[in-house]
Amino acid sequence: MRHKDGSQTGCFMSAKISDSDYLVTVSDLTVVKQGQTILDAVSLDIAKHDFITLIGPNGAGKTVLLRHLLKLETPHAGTVRHQSGLKIGYVPQRVAIDPSLPMTVKRFLTVNNQITSTDLANLATETNISHLLQSPLADLSGGELQRVLLTRALAGKPNLLILDEPAQNLDVNGQLQFYSMIDEIYENRKLSVLMVSHDLHLVMSSTRKVVCLFHHICCSGAPESVARDPEFISIFGDDMAKLMAVYPHSHAHDHDHNHDHHHDHSHTEENQ
Amino acid sequence: MSAHIILTTLALAVVAGPLGCFVVWRRMAYFGDGLAHSALLGVALGLVIGVSNQIGMIAIAIIFALSLIWLRAKRVLATDTLLGILAHAALSLGVVAMTLLGAGDVEVHDYLLGSLDAVTQDMAVWVIAGSGLSLGLLMRLWPGLILMTTSEDLAHAEGVHIVRYEFALMVLMGIVVAASIQLVGILLITSLLIIPASTARLFARSPEAMAIGGSAIASACMLIGLPLAQNFQLATGPVIVCVSVASFMLVLVARLATRKV
Repeated sequence: MRHKDGSQTGCFMSAKISDSDYLVTVSDLTVVKQGQTILDAVSLDIAKHDFITLIGPNGAGKTVLLRHLLKLETPHAGTVRHQSGLKIGYVPQRVAIDPSLPMTVKRFLTVNNQITSTDLANLATETNISHLLQSPLADLSGGELQRVLLTRALAGKPNLLILDEPAQNLDVNGQLQFYSMIDEIYENRKLSVLMVSHDLHLVMSSTRKVVCLFHHICCSGAPESVARDPEFISIFGDDMAKLMAVYPHSHAHDHDHNHDHHHDHSHTEENQ
Repeated sequence: MSAHIILTTLALAVVAGPLGCFVVWRRMAYFGDGLAHSALLGVALGLVIGVSNQIGMIAIAIIFALSLIWLRAKRVLATDTLLGILAHAALSLGVVAMTLLGAGDVEVHDYLLGSLDAVTQDMAVWVIAGSGLSLGLLMRLWPGLILMTTSEDLAHAEGVHIVRYEFALMVLMGIVVAASIQLVGILLITSLLIIPASTARLFARSPEAMAIGGSAIASACMLIGLPLAQNFQLATGPVIVCVSVASFMLVLVARLATRKV
């Protein structure tokens, strides 16, 4: 996150870094809609092989932030910079397939998309949808549809995967399976992942980086430290914080560190 | 039937297939109706400023689409309410203007229900050119349109300019409505688009199959309906719709007989 390397970007935010080490650099992004501040000076960097989980209550501006990360909207103030050559694979929250549209999984994966049939077959194996390729899209279960959307996102060989509450409509088992698939893809493909998730109990049990958004970035860092952050507790409640604090299996060593200085994470970002 | 009538109707039928699919998928039937209603105002506009009916209708269709997009972005009234206001305003203005300009009841009737007499050689050139242009554009935009129809979010994220594509679709409908209105009539133009596409949906397994199937069914219905209308001195629109509905029922029954739908 921005704060931990303030020495580098904090002071020279306006300095032009022609091809920074970050895939995406968000600087002081501010979004105001109908007089309401949705995002207030949000800064966020996504480095190579980062795995960032974005959490926050409903209406915190998570989807708006994603839309700006994808450059679907123009910021009112601040900047969103993409590294040259950045390819983003996007998995939307949900896709409502109208039954009047006849569409097989295979056709959906190839529409508006150049992908060879060999690549498609390999990809389908990776995401476990080979047996679904000839099925109508409208007939898929929630978990199958999410895997198909994930496959489409991977088809463009992205170096950054952005997922918007990808497991929202799955049962617990399906959520676990989907998240472990994302984990595998993250490890095997060496890409970066930014994921919005409401499944705090699953997110927090991982050792990834968590960013808590509530119009501004409240806190960020390893799950166990975020769970102890006063602002996190005030937003998600004491119970959730306690629940989170219990989850990490590896014992938290950084009791004394503040949430905004995570040595472990500066390392992961710097040794790319 | 003379060659220019057959060519005209086939050109219309071919473009009605894929375009009708989008009307079905994107729930634009009411929009199509509204567009058709506004066509009468286009005819009046053509008479006033001295250009052909088709140019007047396409101009009104573009104004209609732009007004709808603009008003919809205000998010105050629902789209079907806006369409109702726009369509009936345009229809009423059209009828008043046509009457003031001295058009007889017969002429207005022909516009409402369609007439073979209206298909002159001049008009045939118009319709074939308009259909060809629309079909070409539709094929060019096809992948983006299909992706956008599946998921607007996904299409947007993958670089499809949603507003432009949607506007293009509206203008294409405007062109096809303008091209076919004198043959099929204002009241029934939407069914020319949706019935063949819906019939094709009963057996199609891909968007492309549905589009091509729609074109084939529309062509067949035109080629069966037009001689019937001519022989029995009937308005062309209602006859074509009757044939189309019959084909829909036939395919539906065939599907039900072979497999539960």
